[in-house]
Amino acid sequence: MTRTAPTTAPASARPGADPYASPLPTVASPAARAGQRMQRARLGVQGTPGRMRLVSAALVVVGLLVGLAAAQSFSVADGALVRADRNAAQLVRLQDIQTLLVRADADATNAFVVGGLEPADQRADYDEAVDRAVQQVAFAARAQPADGEALAALSSAIQSYTSGVVQARAANRQGLPLGAQYLREASAGLRADALPLLGALTSANEERVQTEFDTAGRAQVLALVAGLLGLVIVAGALVWLARRTHRYVNVPVAGAGVVILVVLVASVVALGSVAAAVADLRAGSYASARALAGARIAAFDAKANESLTLVSRGSGAAFEAAWQESSAVTSSLVAEAAQIDPAAADLPGGWDAYTALHQEIRSLDDGGGWEQAVAAAISREPGSANATFDAFDAASGEQLTAASEATSSGLRDARSGLALAGWLCGLAGVLAALLAWWGLSQRIEEYR
Amino acid sequence: MSGDVRGTQEPARGRVVLAAVVTLVGALLAGCTSSGYDPTPLPTASAAPSPTSSPSPSGSAAPVCDDPLASYAPISPLPAPGSMPSGSTMATIAERGRLIVGVSGDSLLLGARNPISGQLEGFDIDMARLVSQAIFGDPDKIELRVITAAERIPLLEDGSVDLVARNMTITCARWEQIAFSAEYYRSGQKVLVPLGSSATSLADLAGQRVCAPAGSTSLVKLEDFPEVVPVSAATHTGCLVKFQQGEVDAITGDDTVLAGLAAQDPYAQVVGPAFTAEPYGLGVNQANTDLVRFVNAVLAQAVADGRWTQSYDRWLADALGAAPAPPVPDYGRG
Repeated sequence: MTRTAPTTAPASARPGADPYASPLPTVASPAARAGQRMQRARLGVQGTPGRMRLVSAALVVVGLLVGLAAAQSFSVADGALVRADRNAAQLVRLQDIQTLLVRADADATNAFVVGGLEPADQRADYDEAVDRAVQQVAFAARAQPADGEALAALSSAIQSYTSGVVQARAANRQGLPLGAQYLREASAGLRADALPLLGALTSANEERVQTEFDTAGRAQVLALVAGLLGLVIVAGALVWLARRTHRYVNVPVAGAGVVILVVLVASVVALGSVAAAVADLRAGSYASARALAGARIAAFDAKANESLTLVSRGSGAAFEAAWQESSAVTSSLVAEAAQIDPAAADLPGGWDAYTALHQEIRSLDDGGGWEQAVAAAISREPGSANATFDAFDAASGEQLTAASEATSSGLRDARSGLALAGWLCGLAGVLAALLAWWGLSQRIEEYR
Repeated sequence: MSGDVRGTQEPARGRVVLAAVVTLVGALLAGCTSSGYDPTPLPTASAAPSPTSSPSPSGSAAPVCDDPLASYAPISPLPAPGSMPSGSTMATIAERGRLIVGVSGDSLLLGARNPISGQLEGFDIDMARLVSQAIFGDPDKIELRVITAAERIPLLEDGSVDLVARNMTITCARWEQIAFSAEYYRSGQKVLVPLGSSATSLADLAGQRVCAPAGSTSLVKLEDFPEVVPVSAATHTGCLVKFQQGEVDAITGDDTVLAGLAAQDPYAQVVGPAFTAEPYGLGVNQANTDLVRFVNAVLAQAVADGRWTQSYDRWLADALGAAPAPPVPDYGRG
């Protein structure tokens, strides 16, 4: 502080205290007082040492901000990966619910093809599927509050579906044709209410996974921009200092620049590898899990439609059309999964084996052999449509679990070390700030 | 102020630094994305047609004809089973190896699947089996296709079924699209109401919701009672589901069908005298008059040898009383 004279003026000069001794106006209005304070502040940073103080403060802030930005990048990437994993887990849950519901419906409709006396194991399978679906809805609601409203609606839809099936069973048990009507309406209600809700939930969660993947992939941008800006500012400060101080390099400030450069390179490399890992998962196990899950849902839907075609006895053309549609979806998604990961094609017999048996059932029914068609459709002997379908179910379920786990573990691997790296970058920022402050305070000292 | 030549440049540079710092802070804040998600949107009410809602038939003026009950004269003599006249529709059916008949799967007593045996059975089914018996000498050479009321005419027109035996009323309007056998049963429209209701006809049901299957004469008849709120379902059983779920207050239909519904719900009763006459005929494609003649001969034979009464007694006597005299066939179409 070399020019402090004006600041010593009594800013609190009172009117009438000593009007002739004061160079200031006799009446100091609040505005004038504020003007004086600004004047003092401006004078405090005036001149070379003042500007040095300003630069020192700026570099300290820049160093801290670069460290913070890099730390934030790591934390954004880490958080995005955690959320992507959770959303992917939610997707698995939702698709599990959908698979369970269509499986329950396939069981219920297949049992109705048999007649009033439902096979006990089929009924047990239905009960288990519904129980698990209901539990999964509760778990899903806890896992993602944003899904709460849709899951509540889904819960009601499942409730009305199961009560329809119970009513259908009660009527069927008494030998009343009314039972089949209750079943048809329950089944149609499931497709009209529950499945669209699950579709909306699935697409919302798919979008969330994509958003988090995008966020994780872009996390490095913040560190990159901050690091580059920091480097430019430090370089500018070095040039300015060199002009002012007739020294070529201010070593501590240059050190701060090196630290920022290291932070920049390290975070771009580390976060770049996160982005690469995410891109791999996205095109790999995640895509394969999505394809397999879709294939399974369409497969169970096809199975239920096969039964509904037979229950309709001759007027089930619409259900057979729905079978064709679902079967085509399953085939193409199985092919897609196989393309992504040849191991996923390892479905013994695959979907085609069941398709061939379904065609046999259809040709029996279309040829007037409804009874034979029903016998073929409800048989559980090895080589029957049901047995072949069960094999597809088991194998594709296993592949789906494997792909989902691969996605989850891939995301965990990509996360490893991100938190530590974030802390280190924060510390490096502090180090850069200290170096810059030290470097400039040496120069400022020379003006004392 | 300082007199330094760079005085004007320094604050400018300061502003650059400040701007850079502000940019950094901004970038930092932009990185702090919120982790909260928008609530999952609920799908909008789907426009997918539910199986129970079908468009009601248009109420255009019904065509009139002198005598809707007039069918074609029976083939005489009735060919023996297994020796159908060559080139006839019956010969085509015999060659195929089975008679394809559109029936109801849930009209108890007329045509319904017995959930215990899995077999379709009822008075209408018996009529169809008489025809199979006459063609093949075997009542089981028959493919029963469960169809809805609205599908009866389209499936006959496109040749998907040879016959329709599904409580089908003979009307002038339908004669324009298909052909009918002679009348094989005379039914009448009544209403089904909850136990304890005082209503005895549609006229007593003003302001109430009354259900009838889409594409049925019963639904058309509802137009004569503008105070009644018509509700359609795919089948009469669909109406009973709505009735049990409180979506409709009453069901209207043929007494035979309503008897089958009341048998499934002890809290429902069929009331009043019949307010229409519903002559049932077997539906046939318009072009197959030879099949109509054949069917008429079969029906005449069944009435003569008592099989008609036997079937009536088995299915309808309990609900509708002792067998009436079988309808007198009218062969007015020559």
